[in-house]
Amino acid sequence: MTLRRRLTLVLALAVGLTGIALGAGSYFLVRHNLLSDSVDSSIVQTRRNVAVAPAYRDTGKLVDAYKSRGDFLTVATRGGDTFLSSASVSLRSVPAGLRDVVGRGELGYQRTTVAGDRFLVTGAPAANGTKLYFFFPENGLRHELSVLRNVLLGGVGILVLLAALAGVVLARSTLRPVARASTAARSLAEGLLETRLPVEGRDEFGVWAQSFNEMAAALEAKIGELQAAQARERRFTADVAHELRTPLTALMGEASLLAGHLDQMPPESRRPAELLIADVGRLRKLVEDLMEISRFDAGAESVHAEEVDVAALVGATVRARGWDDRVRLEGDGLRVTSDPRRLERIVANLVDNALEHGGSSVSVRIGEHEIEVTDDGPGIPSEHLAHVFERFYKADASRSGGGTGLGLAIARENAILLGGELEVVSEPGQGTRFTLQLPVAEPLHHGDGDVA
Amino acid sequence: MDEHVLLVEDDPSIREVATLGLEQSGLRVTAVGDGREGLDRFRQGGVDLVVLDVMLPSLGGFEVLREIRHDSQVPIVMLTARSELHDVVVGLELGADDYVTKPFELPELVARVKAVLRRAAPAGDGATINVAGVEIDPDGFTARKRGEELQLTATEFRLLLELARRPKQVFTRELLLELVWSYDYLGDSRLVDAAVQRLRAKLEDDPKQPVLIKTVRGVGYRFNAGS
Repeated sequence: MTLRRRLTLVLALAVGLTGIALGAGSYFLVRHNLLSDSVDSSIVQTRRNVAVAPAYRDTGKLVDAYKSRGDFLTVATRGGDTFLSSASVSLRSVPAGLRDVVGRGELGYQRTTVAGDRFLVTGAPAANGTKLYFFFPENGLRHELSVLRNVLLGGVGILVLLAALAGVVLARSTLRPVARASTAARSLAEGLLETRLPVEGRDEFGVWAQSFNEMAAALEAKIGELQAAQARERRFTADVAHELRTPLTALMGEASLLAGHLDQMPPESRRPAELLIADVGRLRKLVEDLMEISRFDAGAESVHAEEVDVAALVGATVRARGWDDRVRLEGDGLRVTSDPRRLERIVANLVDNALEHGGSSVSVRIGEHEIEVTDDGPGIPSEHLAHVFERFYKADASRSGGGTGLGLAIARENAILLGGELEVVSEPGQGTRFTLQLPVAEPLHHGDGDVA
Repeated sequence: MDEHVLLVEDDPSIREVATLGLEQSGLRVTAVGDGREGLDRFRQGGVDLVVLDVMLPSLGGFEVLREIRHDSQVPIVMLTARSELHDVVVGLELGADDYVTKPFELPELVARVKAVLRRAAPAGDGATINVAGVEIDPDGFTARKRGEELQLTATEFRLLLELARRPKQVFTRELLLELVWSYDYLGDSRLVDAAVQRLRAKLEDDPKQPVLIKTVRGVGYRFNAGS
């Protein structure tokens, strides 16, 4: 049960019970007083009636005389005769207990109902041997009491309703800050870091809202700092890569010129020249990878999609790099709308990685919607598997491969850009398989630069 | 062959190494280090091809490109940064024939330069083509429309020639890259699109409603010989 409903119920219950106790108390007090007042006045009247009885020789006349003395009915017996003031009562109407009391010569009273009407019956013997019974009607009294009871019950009901209403209102106004805070916490969790709570009043909720806001502000500042630091770091990487471009271009040209004249060099400078040429190639790869990753970070990469025959592209990729005799190609027939340069980059990086870490047999299989690059190398231990797409991640710190450490990260960025997915499964000792899932349902927007 | 290449590049090391590379492949090279100087040297004449860096002091590469294209159809190869994708598009729209991105391999530059020079040499392979009011003379390296000579760059001329030789055939961008630009593998299709735009601007009565060079959506282009 919610706190709101609980609060409402408790308040209504408390008010209801109090109302019932008070109402019942007053009702029974009033009832008792009214009934005993009725008895008192009836007995006074009875005594007066008894006192005048001996003055009448004729009991019939006595009964008639009583008619003018008050609003009551009379039953009188004298000897074997019975005298009635009204046909609505008879001697049989008099309760037997009362008759016994009067028979013993005492004054008594008892309440009874005659034909649906309620009466207080008093009885007393008169000095001349007449036995007198008087029926005082109590219908009015009973009616008043029932009205009083209904009024009290209705009052309690209204009180309970009012209390419940007050409970709802109170609970809502009390709990509104809680509802607001939970909404705010949710939007904060969804990344709307500028979310704040209104601080109203100086109650506990006000203090709480203030603390919440301080927490949110601290969080926002911290995340802002982190983002700024990350942006600075990325900017720096991009700048470094960019600045390296010019000297690298010169280096590559110089290495290329040297490579054309290696055979004219004396042996002692020839080997260093060969190493230099190879290392310039490594440097080039690293700088190009850094530049590419920076372009991804800057969101500057775009897709130029066209019809691609995947098997032809994979074959050309492998041939262009001189991997023909080391890589087995399987599958055919897959045509997709995609960016061929990016596909080539992904395939080249995956095969390069497989050749570097994968041992003797590397195969590229083209499936229905996917490209699989499989090797039979030592595999990747499971604790490293989740990290292989991270930048510069090396599963084995002691192993310094020929790669830049960015190949798989770049492959994955490209895969995401193409709307595909790049996944890896590996079993130590069994080899590793990278799977590139290509999107098929939605072809990428055609990079057709033509407006005509 | 002794074609004369004007190299405009501000970095001294790249300038020197590129000069050496081009010279070793049998070309004559004049190398200068800023845009103003490059434009002045070009205007003295005798240049068969310009290799033009985009980032240049005193007068930017695009300015130089614009100035040269103002009155010359000389072949131009641009040097751009790959991180500045926009540069490639701007350069091609201004009329560059091809481009090489930094960092580049020297043989790649030499190959691009030679490919463009080959394009600019009279083909000597065929009779004059006369189709849809367009007259193309492969030997004379001239194209006329309704008797009026069109001022085409070597790339634009080759593109027109290839398309007009087989009217109605649909040419994919890859095929055109191979035939015109000598890319056998993964050329940039923007080269084709930009060259088609430039060719239409010179050839069509209304370049926005082309009737001679039609786009075939999602495939490529074809020459429309008319009905």
